[in-house]
Amino acid sequence: MSIEAIPVVVINSSENLVAADSGLSGNAPVLLREIAELAHRLLDSGEASAIDLRALPLTPADLEWLRETLGQGQVVATLEAEGESMLSETVCPGVWWVTHHNENGAVASEFIEVTFVPELLKAHPEDVKIGLEHLELLISDLS
Amino acid sequence: MHGPLIDTLARQGVTRRTFMKYCATLASMMALPPAAGRAMAEAMASAPAATRRPSVIWLPFQECTGCTESITRSHSPTLEGLIFDAISLDYQETLMAAAGHQAEEALHAAMKANEGKYLLIVDGSIPLGLDGAYSCIAGKSNLDTLKEVAKGAAAIVAMGSCAAYGGIPKANPNPTGAVSVSDIIKDKPIINIPGCPPIPVVMTGVLAHFLTFGSLPEMDSKGRPKAFYGETIHDRCYRRPFYDQGKFAKTFDDEGARNGWCLFELGCKGPVTYNACATVKWNGGTSWPVESGHGCLGCSEPDFWDAGGFYKALSMPADPLKMASTAAIAGAAAGVAISFANRGKKSAAKSAHETTTLADLEK
Amino acid sequence: MNDMQFLTWVRGTGLDIALSIFVLGVLWRLFEIYSLGRKPDLTAPRHAAGASGLHTIFRRTLPAEGMLKRAPVSIIGGTAFHIGLAIVVFLFAPHILLIKNLTGLSWPGLPSQFIDLVAVVTMAAMVVVLVDRINKPVKRYLSTFGDWFAWTLTFLPVLTGWMAVQHLLLPYTTMLAIHILTVELLLVFLPFTKLFHAFTAFGSRWYIGKINGHKGVAV
Repeated sequence: MSIEAIPVVVINSSENLVAADSGLSGNAPVLLREIAELAHRLLDSGEASAIDLRALPLTPADLEWLRETLGQGQVVATLEAEGESMLSETVCPGVWWVTHHNENGAVASEFIEVTFVPELLKAHPEDVKIGLEHLELLISDLS
Repeated sequence: MHGPLIDTLARQGVTRRTFMKYCATLASMMALPPAAGRAMAEAMASAPAATRRPSVIWLPFQECTGCTESITRSHSPTLEGLIFDAISLDYQETLMAAAGHQAEEALHAAMKANEGKYLLIVDGSIPLGLDGAYSCIAGKSNLDTLKEVAKGAAAIVAMGSCAAYGGIPKANPNPTGAVSVSDIIKDKPIINIPGCPPIPVVMTGVLAHFLTFGSLPEMDSKGRPKAFYGETIHDRCYRRPFYDQGKFAKTFDDEGARNGWCLFELGCKGPVTYNACATVKWNGGTSWPVESGHGCLGCSEPDFWDAGGFYKALSMPADPLKMASTAAIAGAAAGVAISFANRGKKSAAKSAHETTTLADLEK
Repeated sequence: MNDMQFLTWVRGTGLDIALSIFVLGVLWRLFEIYSLGRKPDLTAPRHAAGASGLHTIFRRTLPAEGMLKRAPVSIIGGTAFHIGLAIVVFLFAPHILLIKNLTGLSWPGLPSQFIDLVAVVTMAAMVVVLVDRINKPVKRYLSTFGDWFAWTLTFLPVLTGWMAVQHLLLPYTTMLAIHILTVELLLVFLPFTKLFHAFTAFGSRWYIGKINGHKGVAV
């Protein structure tokens, strides 16, 4: 069940088109500056960083605004791990929107990662070793 | 990042990436900075494999089993269940198969075998009234049982507001003389996980910490893990912007309530309640009390039951004013009495007044 | 006593005691002062434009001619903190809720960020006025314990309220309880100190204006 399924949230939301009543708290635009700051850090020192969106006082409307403003870039990766995870690059390369869902489809955590490639996408050498063993097994089956 | 835990997980079909995702989410839930998720994954993954699973004894006292219900209904069964796979739960009346003498034997066997090393979880408060006769298990008062089992424990987890602070049994007029674990046990490390019930992931988070680092996490002045109880509901509430804008729901079904405005005026105790509901939420992240339209009751704070009523705003009087009207009458009466006294003085002065004549001045 | 019990006490018993003493003191003093009366003035009243009790109430709200130059700190600082106090006390939503609960009256509040700003300005003005009182030899000479005490009683609720909202020094629960306690101290002492001018200032202005108006003098 998604939050939107709870009627309390949606009644009247379309009636009020005035900015003050749209549910925007004014906290989202500030985040853009922080993201820019983190992008500078990534370029200068190569240091990746992340913002925990759940740890900030953002309303659902704020998150929507932020998502729309940052836009959708070229890369979208999905990870199936105890629920789906979406890692999608925004219009600004290096700025990733990461959403972890739990098995019920509810959002478990949500981050903005400023990095060349999210850590989660990289294969770990140990896993590569396991994959290699599997490959060798496949090759040995060929002969 | 690899180690025995990763191998164990792999055997259960949990990949490294799943584990990293879990740790990232747990860090987010624990209100830790995003970088801590990776650090925790590293720490947990590289923790040495326990040769024997640590023993955990769970004692129920004056409680409603709501805490047990809460934990056993925690979500992400594979990963959070892993915490329970990693321990040996040697005594838990609700969950254990054994009953009666067998159960008590299991308790004593576990205590003896793991002397000084087991983790004791307590839920429910301890009654001191009538020499503890209000609640007994196997012919022993809760007080005696707690003292006996606590003696050999490495650390104690007080689960739920009853064990942590006395909770509902301690509510005024406290008929059973209920007290908390920390009121009785003074010589053991105790961590409080208050809440009515507490959030499941807080429990697993604390257990994970104990398993990973062999110690209890950092606590606040009320003995609660800072990670989960570091901030108030109000400060993390998604309705907080409405509080700041001065937009409040006045009743549970008015325009403000439908628009999801702040519930402060309806008695929300979010500003004085330290808990993680606003970030962790309940039922697998589905919702939480404020999101469902009801103010916070403050259930993770001591004496929340006697904090002036659930539906009274924090800035309202906790009790009806009893003396004010009497005081108003007394004040008015005093004022009138003094004004009469003053008038008396004035007329006395007037009658004592002697007219001065020219002759008097020429004397 | 833990912080929650402390908070519940100041919201309950403490508030009851403080409000009772406040109401008792206010009524007592008002009855006493206004029942004193004056001898009837038998002279024929002289009429002059702008000479009446009502005129004086308004006139004395503004600084007298030349005073703004002679005592700018007292007048600007004093006006600023009085207006600030009125805004913070009567237009902060939780305060309105308390007043509504006690009297049934309510009105819309202002955004908390604005109240926050006003509180800071109010405290700054109060500190400036205090420093001025300490620095000016005449003012210092004229100051009694009652003056320092009244300043402290007024300053503490603003400071603790602001600190509670800003989460400074102590946890919010404790700070909120201390804030309410300082307000209760203010309530207890208000009727018996010079702070009682909150109730008598306009009355005495009207009184002075009326006497002088009878004599045909606009003051």
